[in-house]
Amino acid sequence: MNRAIVMARLALRNLRRQARRSVLTAAAMIVGGALLMISLPLGDGTHEDWIDSAVRMGSGHIAIQAPGYQATRKIEDRLSHSARRAAEAALETPSIREHVVTAKPQLAVGGLASSPTGARPAQIVGVAPVAEAAFSILDEKVVDGRYLEPEDRLAAYIGTGLAEGLELRLGSRLVLTAQDADGEIAGQLVRVVGIFRTGIPEIDQSLIHIPLSTAGSWLGSREDVTTIAVLISSSRRVPRIRRALQRELAGEIEAGSVTVMGWREAMPELDAAVKIDDFGNYMFQGILFGIIAMGIINTVLMSVMYRKREFGLLQALGLTPRQTGGLVMIEGLILTTLSGIIGISIGLFITWFFWRDGLDFSFAWEEDWTFSGVVMDPIVIPYFRVARVIQGLVFIFMIGVLASLYPAFRATRIDVAESMKFER
Amino acid sequence: MKNKNTAAVRTDDVWKIFEQEAEEVQAVRGVTLTIEPGEFIAMAGPSGSGKTTLLNLIGGLTRATRGRVQVAGHELTKMSNRELARLRLESVGFIFQAYNLLPVLTALENAEFPLLLQGVNGGERRRRVMELFERTGLAGLEDRRPGKLSGGQQQRVAVIRAVVAEPALVLADEPTANLDSVASDRLLDMMEELNRDLGTTFLFATHDPRVMERARRLIRLVDGAVAFDERHQPEPER
Repeated sequence: MNRAIVMARLALRNLRRQARRSVLTAAAMIVGGALLMISLPLGDGTHEDWIDSAVRMGSGHIAIQAPGYQATRKIEDRLSHSARRAAEAALETPSIREHVVTAKPQLAVGGLASSPTGARPAQIVGVAPVAEAAFSILDEKVVDGRYLEPEDRLAAYIGTGLAEGLELRLGSRLVLTAQDADGEIAGQLVRVVGIFRTGIPEIDQSLIHIPLSTAGSWLGSREDVTTIAVLISSSRRVPRIRRALQRELAGEIEAGSVTVMGWREAMPELDAAVKIDDFGNYMFQGILFGIIAMGIINTVLMSVMYRKREFGLLQALGLTPRQTGGLVMIEGLILTTLSGIIGISIGLFITWFFWRDGLDFSFAWEEDWTFSGVVMDPIVIPYFRVARVIQGLVFIFMIGVLASLYPAFRATRIDVAESMKFER
Repeated sequence: MKNKNTAAVRTDDVWKIFEQEAEEVQAVRGVTLTIEPGEFIAMAGPSGSGKTTLLNLIGGLTRATRGRVQVAGHELTKMSNRELARLRLESVGFIFQAYNLLPVLTALENAEFPLLLQGVNGGERRRRVMELFERTGLAGLEDRRPGKLSGGQQQRVAVIRAVVAEPALVLADEPTANLDSVASDRLLDMMEELNRDLGTTFLFATHDPRVMERARRLIRLVDGAVAFDERHQPEPER
């Protein structure tokens, strides 16, 4: 048995000797660890839901576009026919395809929607109806009529806000006006086949879906598109798939005809919202564990003060001050790590056992409540990640180290001769 | 580290001065002593005469303000804290008035603790400790925690812990102060026997007349200085 094992054994027995104190400290750590493992998967689940909802409504986890389109949103910054084909071929690469849930082409332009009662600015998007329905959740938001179908030609799917503003109903006709591929203003008559409501005012008031073929012939862009939006099996895989796509499209990227963006670049507001929310969560956890760390410092320090004579004795028997401090560190680390592991296990178990199918927050917010342009689903499904468990363990271990440092330092500073006089 | 050819302890004009409430307290004043290996010495004196402070200086638990202290040939005043810890582990055993066993360890584990820190293997540790347990009438109590032992038994375990690593020197601070006369006599018999058989040097700080009677050299401290130093009997054969 080497010295380290002796120290660990001594530390364990000391913790057992002060059972009540150890249990109280451990209880705080267990509660903290459990809360950490409840809040992290739920927080991640919420973010995953935001991201999923936003990428489905927007330009996907990954957007393949022409450079400049992100900034201008103009039809001249579109993917050429050959660039589109190259991008679609890249998506068929086996290592990429296995992670792609679906992809959709879009031709989006800003324009005007007019009816006999007025005109409104509109975001007009030409879509492939089947691909769009598989990708987006917009088709599920229909409140009247239906979503676009493949055989549709002069059909439009509009939001409730726009319908109300222009007094449109199913079957109503409206004229779309936008700048075409040649820079000329062009108009297109379409008929309302469906009306949707997402709950997001800016979408409901301006978004119009029309068939991609109609948009291509109206705007003279034929088969060109502005975006190929890609949905990935998990948002965590975006950086890897993006890199793979960039490798596959290296020639086009170098030629300046294609750029591959992740959702964080394509939707900077969402990225900021996720980061702000994460920061809030970390702050909360930091404060919680700060309080817990204070408790641990207090407990371990009390234990050091109470056992001054014992530490003095250990040094009299041949332990160096550093080894004495090491013993205190070991005690603190055993206490925090063991209780942290128990807490994390309890937290994971509670989250998995009770809420793996979702935790219902409908008591707190309505189904169509929006935040940062995203509809918040009141059912939050926790998202479990091994990285989060490791992160939690490392965090708790660090709390253990930090909380034990000062008591350990105090143990190294014990005046041995003085401490042996103690209790005389 | 051990050097049987040098004096077990040599102090040369050692002073220990404490600052207490802005006043200077001279706990040890110019003590010069030589203790040969195998001696069995009682250091007596009234409370506050500097006995414990001198023991602490010799044991390297506190540092001298002035003068030199040598233990088993090592100059303590020049040693780092780490080196002092090593010296205590290998060359000095301590026995305290309050027994000072580690409450979380069994009697056996307490006794073998210095060997454990020295890295002696389990079989050898057990053999050496059990031999001493049998010699001192503690056999059968190995697995008891200190709380389950009488004062006399605890102090015997403490003595075994002090001698088990065969240090050059054992420093005992009032070892019989908390024991009744029977337990004290038994403990002194044991220490005399270990001194005789193992050649271990014992230095006691004590008020106990029984310890003084048994000691073969008596040093009396008054106000931190040696007032009297006399050998009672010839030194034991080595």
